[in-house]
Amino acid sequence: MSDQAPGVGELIYTRVFDAPRELVFRCMIEPEHLTHFWGPAGVSTPLENIKVDPRPGGIFETVMVNDADGSQYPMRAVYAEVAEPERLVWTEPGTGMTTTSTFSDLGGGRTEVRIHQVNVPEAFRSPEAQAGFATSLDRFAAYLAALPGD
Amino acid sequence: MDQLDATFTALADPTRRAIVARLAEGDATVNELAAPFDMTLPGISKHLKVLERCGLISRTRRAQFRPCHLERQALDAAAGWIEENRRTWAQRFDKLGAHLRDIQQAPSPDGTASQGKEGQARE
Repeated sequence: MSDQAPGVGELIYTRVFDAPRELVFRCMIEPEHLTHFWGPAGVSTPLENIKVDPRPGGIFETVMVNDADGSQYPMRAVYAEVAEPERLVWTEPGTGMTTTSTFSDLGGGRTEVRIHQVNVPEAFRSPEAQAGFATSLDRFAAYLAALPGD
Repeated sequence: MDQLDATFTALADPTRRAIVARLAEGDATVNELAAPFDMTLPGISKHLKVLERCGLISRTRRAQFRPCHLERQALDAAAGWIEENRRTWAQRFDKLGAHLRDIQQAPSPDGTASQGKEGQARE
């Protein structure tokens, strides 16, 4: 998966955690862990709606619930690769977006998680957009944000 | 989605991004825009048409100067989509970090052991 053609529209996020790689990896595939962190701030992910079948072709589904108004945000994905504890790849059939999580052991009980998303979103697939999005969309967002306001 | 698509496509070009950056500082005529880019007027005009078509810029009909104006809402919509996704992962990672601290450091009140070393059976 790592040699997938670049330039479609990529987002990359990394974070280092003070925890062994095996544990961090398990957090990403076990509902009992996912329910604690999968939703962003102000959004819960009830345990009963998390479905995880960590093998190629297996499902990864969650329903995030907005704590303020109860709005629901379902996510439906299918695992493409499950290589414990190094790599996890899933694709969201609805959008075609593929998310690759890479877990690197930094030693000393620290783990770096790198999230790499491609095909964001499906509509970026015009040849012109593909050519232009070889660079990270994340940096592009920073660039947009840095533009002076009105 | 079509509008957002067109916006991203337009911004995929580095010259057009530079034009947008220039217009973020204030309105400018085609001549003013062409100067720093070392481009012909027709070349700049072509880029401006793409930016205009997706709604990123507008041009007043006033006289022959027709200054270009950046439409910030269109830019904000594009930046917003990326930013929302970025924020989701940032907050998710914040929570994951807190969760990892919880399960590694403090045995829970009900006596459940830390899962840091031994791990938990997969279901």
